[in-house]
Amino acid sequence: MPQLHDVDYTLEYPYTRTTGPIIGPFLTGLRDGRILGQRCGDRVLCPPMEFDPDTFATLESDLVEVGPGGEVVNWTWVAEPSAKHPFDRPFGFAFIKLDGADTALVHAVDTGGDPEAMSTGMRVRAQFRDERHGSVADVYFVPEADAADQVIEPGEEPVTITEHLIGLRINEPLYPHRARFAQGLLDGKIIGQRSPVTGKVYVPGRGYDNMSRVLMSESDEVEVSDVGTVVAFTELNPVQYYGQTETEPYVRCSILFDGTDQPVIGIDIRDMTVDEMRVGMRMRCIWRDPEERSVEDIDNRYGNIPETVYARFEPTGEPDIPADELKEHSW
Amino acid sequence: MVSVAEDVAIVAFEQTPSHAHFNDSEPAMIMPCVNSVIEQVGMDRHDIDFTIAGSCDYLSGMPFAFVMNIDAVGAWPPVYESHVEMDGAWALFEGFVRLQSGDIDTVLVSGSGKCSPGSYREGFSLQTDPYVHAPIGLDPRTQAGFQAQALIAAGKATERDFAEVVARSHANAKDNPYAQLSGDLSVDELLAEPYVQQPLRRLDCPPTSDGAAAMIIARADKARELCDNPVWIRAIDHRIDSHHPTLRDLTDSPSVRIAADRVGLHDGPVDIAELTVTYSPEEIILRDALGLNGETSVNPSGGPLTGSPFMAVGLTRVIELARAIRNGDGGRGVAHASSGPALQQNLLCVLEGDG
Repeated sequence: MPQLHDVDYTLEYPYTRTTGPIIGPFLTGLRDGRILGQRCGDRVLCPPMEFDPDTFATLESDLVEVGPGGEVVNWTWVAEPSAKHPFDRPFGFAFIKLDGADTALVHAVDTGGDPEAMSTGMRVRAQFRDERHGSVADVYFVPEADAADQVIEPGEEPVTITEHLIGLRINEPLYPHRARFAQGLLDGKIIGQRSPVTGKVYVPGRGYDNMSRVLMSESDEVEVSDVGTVVAFTELNPVQYYGQTETEPYVRCSILFDGTDQPVIGIDIRDMTVDEMRVGMRMRCIWRDPEERSVEDIDNRYGNIPETVYARFEPTGEPDIPADELKEHSW
Repeated sequence: MVSVAEDVAIVAFEQTPSHAHFNDSEPAMIMPCVNSVIEQVGMDRHDIDFTIAGSCDYLSGMPFAFVMNIDAVGAWPPVYESHVEMDGAWALFEGFVRLQSGDIDTVLVSGSGKCSPGSYREGFSLQTDPYVHAPIGLDPRTQAGFQAQALIAAGKATERDFAEVVARSHANAKDNPYAQLSGDLSVDELLAEPYVQQPLRRLDCPPTSDGAAAMIIARADKARELCDNPVWIRAIDHRIDSHHPTLRDLTDSPSVRIAADRVGLHDGPVDIAELTVTYSPEEIILRDALGLNGETSVNPSGGPLTGSPFMAVGLTRVIELARAIRNGDGGRGVAHASSGPALQQNLLCVLEGDG
């Protein structure tokens, strides 16, 4: 039989940023195997900046090559790298004052996992990765004695855009009320929560009644009908954003199940066209066979009644409910 | 010193315990706090003039998570409401400033965060410069490691000093029912632990925590009407240092020094200091920058090393100080909140009792 599971997903956002007149050449340089600093009066800033950090005056682009060697002026050892770090084994993060620069760059030093190799004043040298994308992660550092000579093929176009895909991993158990709701779906039941204050029934329950500001628990839970009324619908034409899995238009609707006070939104209809949908239409849930049901798409934040538990929603043939009577629930 | 147009007092406050994992939603965590502060002052929810919350969507793992949190503060029929993507202490700041206009009387402030479902090291690395720092995952613990190393290199502190901060914090937390960690620790045993972020060890860093806090603040006349023992916010100020750690002297906090001057910290006795010491070396920097001497009790609650629900932890410092003043542990003190890595942003709030 299908079972409940912990929530485990990675929320991703692709960020695209323009690079501007100083960071752009800096990132272009890294892609091409060179490190550039920005002149600022008598000083050279690396990482380069678009403004004087003391006066905040705008700096015109005036870049000069620095490094590839430099000196560690501060460091810390990362015993447990995060998934976002440049190395998946222990390494040092360091403030590195590159030869020819007056300020320090924060970057990673790979000593082969040996913290004893790190020290303030140590000499390091830049190494460039085989795959470079015009990012600060194109480079890393090693103790000078371990550095290899590299031949870097420059790219063609200057870097004017930087892409950064961020990912936040979320891992936790289903909250108790979410677990009971999800288990209900596996059992072919829709579980709601009845407010102890107003008597209104919410599906799915959130563990509280936000109108009366009271927490709700298992004792407030009720099984509700799997027959209801369409209160809203639309046709979705999938825009191909990052992470989109849909390609064809489909109908999404909200259904107010009998005896409840809040429609379940986001119910997808694959076997009817938008022309066949009506507000007020009576619909019944036709469940999948028990062993074919899955609640993998239900987490603590998203997921109401997913397609993985029902085969389809079917018009009951009863007369429509007048739309006027549904105004309170049109969402 | 900043002049205050309208005297403002804290009239009610509540916090959750610092949970290692709170197995329900963020609104379910905030709601009992909000209900408690409303009950303490006996107000009708809709008589509160302004509502403001602090939280972090990256931490919650959901776009617009802060909108869901409004479920907890009671927003129907609609209320006048705002949000900061910051610790609740900054929501307090905005609420305090809003009251200075003199046209409204009461503000409901909250702060909340759940660190347990995700990785705060990965999430908060996104606070850093998006071109040169975030792509290499430069996380707050790493930046705390740099700060610790800088203190040692400058001869301003030793690893033993860090361990002493940890031991004192855990001992203080023994009397704090909201603390997540507490107990008697031996400095020598702490120093025998392995590094997680050399020169920092596990307990030099905060525990992973979930929690929430809420408060009602009011203008003077209303404050006296709502409670018998208001705690007065005498001054509040927020200052920042560069987001490039290599451009800072990490062994000092110029922004704290400026803020301390602006709030007139030493214009009166500083009996208690509740400081956002997220990593143990920060206490050494803060004591120095605040000019604290042996007469000030520092983090009698145990502080964030014993429970650190990000986005609530700064507001909780203000609450812990207000509670201590109400209890008569002191007459005047300072609460400190921090944001950004390695004490990059700092907020100070001076509280005084009604005596």
